[in-house]
Amino acid sequence: MTDTQPDTAPDAGPDTRDEERAEERRHLERREKWIRRLPLLPALLFTIVITQVPFVFSLFYSLTDWKIIPPTPRTFIGFDNFTDLVDNQFFRDAAWVSVVMTASAVLLSLILGTGIALLLDRKFFGQGFVRTLLITPFLVMPVVAGLVWKNQVFSSQYGVINWLLNLVGIDNVEFVTRYPLWSIVIVLVWEWTPFMMLIILAGLQGQPTDVLEAARVDGATNRAIFFQITLPHLKPYLELGTLLGSIYLIQVFDQIEVITGGGPDSSNIPFFVFQRSIGGGWDFGAASAMSIVVVIASIVLANLGLRVLSGLLEGEDPA
Amino acid sequence: MAEVRYEGATRLYEGTEEPAVNALDLDIVDGELLVLVGPSGSGKSTALRMLAGLESVDQGGVYIGGRDVTLVPPKDRDIAMVFQNYALYPQMTVAANMGFALKQQGVPKEERVRQVREAARILDLEPYLDRKPKNLSGGQRQRVAMGRAIVRRPQVFLMDEPLSNLDAKLRVQTRTELADLQARLGVTTVYVTHDQVEAMTMGHRVAVLKDGFLQQVAAPKELYSRPANLFVAGFIGSPAMNLITVPVEDGVASLNDLSLPLPDDVRAEVNRRGLKEIVFGVRPEHLELGQEGTSGEVAVVEELGSEAYVHVRIAHGAETELIVVRVGGETSVTRGDFVNFGVTGANHYFDPDGDRLDAKPVPGAG
Ligand SMILES: Nc1ncnc2c1ncn2[C@@H]1O[C@H](COP(=O)(O)OP(=O)(O)OP(=O)(O)O)[C@@H](O)[C@H]1O
Ligand SMILES: [Mg+2]
Repeated sequence: MTDTQPDTAPDAGPDTRDEERAEERRHLERREKWIRRLPLLPALLFTIVITQVPFVFSLFYSLTDWKIIPPTPRTFIGFDNFTDLVDNQFFRDAAWVSVVMTASAVLLSLILGTGIALLLDRKFFGQGFVRTLLITPFLVMPVVAGLVWKNQVFSSQYGVINWLLNLVGIDNVEFVTRYPLWSIVIVLVWEWTPFMMLIILAGLQGQPTDVLEAARVDGATNRAIFFQITLPHLKPYLELGTLLGSIYLIQVFDQIEVITGGGPDSSNIPFFVFQRSIGGGWDFGAASAMSIVVVIASIVLANLGLRVLSGLLEGEDPA
Repeated sequence: MAEVRYEGATRLYEGTEEPAVNALDLDIVDGELLVLVGPSGSGKSTALRMLAGLESVDQGGVYIGGRDVTLVPPKDRDIAMVFQNYALYPQMTVAANMGFALKQQGVPKEERVRQVREAARILDLEPYLDRKPKNLSGGQRQRVAMGRAIVRRPQVFLMDEPLSNLDAKLRVQTRTELADLQARLGVTTVYVTHDQVEAMTMGHRVAVLKDGFLQQVAAPKELYSRPANLFVAGFIGSPAMNLITVPVEDGVASLNDLSLPLPDDVRAEVNRRGLKEIVFGVRPEHLELGQEGTSGEVAVVEELGSEAYVHVRIAHGAETELIVVRVGGETSVTRGDFVNFGVTGANHYFDPDGDRLDAKPVPGAG
């Protein structure tokens, strides 16, 4: 009962009492936060090590001149690798291919995926079965998908398309040689449409039915309902699809390797990186610089894509 | 504006045995506010949605303004609906929500803005026109939903429990505002609620539904004073009518010491049906504590200030039964007292199977 603690002295006014409580509360909150974070720390460290460390290494290599064949000592050369890229016609071609390939594959698969999702978003017999069938392309390994399309579909000798064209009397077309970029884009769209479809379908099924009914009662046609109600509702789902699609598709490698094996019209930056490094170039400095460019471009592109999309869907007039 | 008619309208949901709405016949006159009331699952929403075109009519038909709209899609029925959860368009501003229907009709923008402003003025929504629904309170959302309906100037308003998400006080206030608005606009309105007080206070006429069947359609007063059957008698009124099965002998029913001589028409009907027992109904305000009558023990006294309800436990055959008696606000009766009570008038007599036993036909009943 002896009054040893001055901060709880009974003569302390209400103001100091409040301050003490606030201080005490802040202290408790800090402790609370650390207690909650602590168990996450190992996972966080692990994640940083395995994701960020390689990136830091790449960053370092990109600032060096490092060729393995013929073996030369690694020397620090600053940003020369990057400035060289600007003048490199092959790199510029690859960059352009990357842009066209990613943008068109994302856009087309998004449109197709939305269309199919709209068809699937109603009750019919065998719905689950059809949905599973439609998802399979996404489950096929990229290499296998590339091979199947190259040999069974596009091929001038064994391909289905040419067989059909022959039936109606049109001569063989060597698709992969004539349209290397678009052949790859078609395969990518085939693989990615199911992914987009799943995301959009989730969005459609999360749409409250009474809002759609309200629109019907308000005299909206199906078309008006889609463009004025459903599409704005799907905005976050379309954004997600664009984001994930762009991030993955900008790194496509397998399909290019299998279908065209590269070439100025169909190698994107990752493929070019491969060619310049372990694919025969052995110039790891330059290749690292290019990968850094891809990472930055991915971020920029994804952001741009989201902006454009948001802008398109924001168009709502006030009355 | 228009009258509305249900003609033997039936809705059987897929995978169910009994129709949710069963051969509904109902005439709603131009400018009327008709309330559909009934317990949960009685088919109120279904009946309303059939009129909106959101549910197909499996048999019979529905008419709006004399036009058969049974097969007409919702968008061509010229109706406006207020949903229970309001169903506002989440990505649109309040103004866009309210102007949506006009936009679909191709009304030019200036005209749309003008009409939306007008409706917003009526509903005190002007400060919120640029907000999204998620940034509004429940009451404001409810008004936006109303605004969306009145901007249309439709032939019929359909409302499905539009006040059920509001707190009690706001609900009472909005109830009167809504009834007033409807009277001013003069638009035929079908209003669904499960709350019989709401039904009685708002409806020009009230239609009572149970298990998909229409029980009675009548003005609130008539519904209260002449319920067509046992169900309506028990459903309408709060606290509920006292309903108790009593034996009949020589045209006299008896409740313990209380003799209830039956009116002539009831007596005739009882004889015609050969009933030995009937259900006697009496509202709490038509019972009176006094020296006479039958006796029982007070189980509960519900004090409401201006009045009080005394629950009296009486013997009834081998069991006991609670009878509610209304008394004035300042009562000295307390729990455990033994009291006598008698009947002051307005008795109701029903066949135990449900029918009302007086001869006078109930007008308007299906
Ligand atoms: N889509 C449906 N499929 C099958 N049965 C349904 C469907 N909708 C409603 N029902 C059934 O039809 C009956 C009437 O439903 P309804 O929604 O009209 O009731 P309600 O009177 O509006 O009830 P509440 O007051 O609870 O809203 C219920 O038994 C319900 O289970
Ligand atoms: Mg309902």
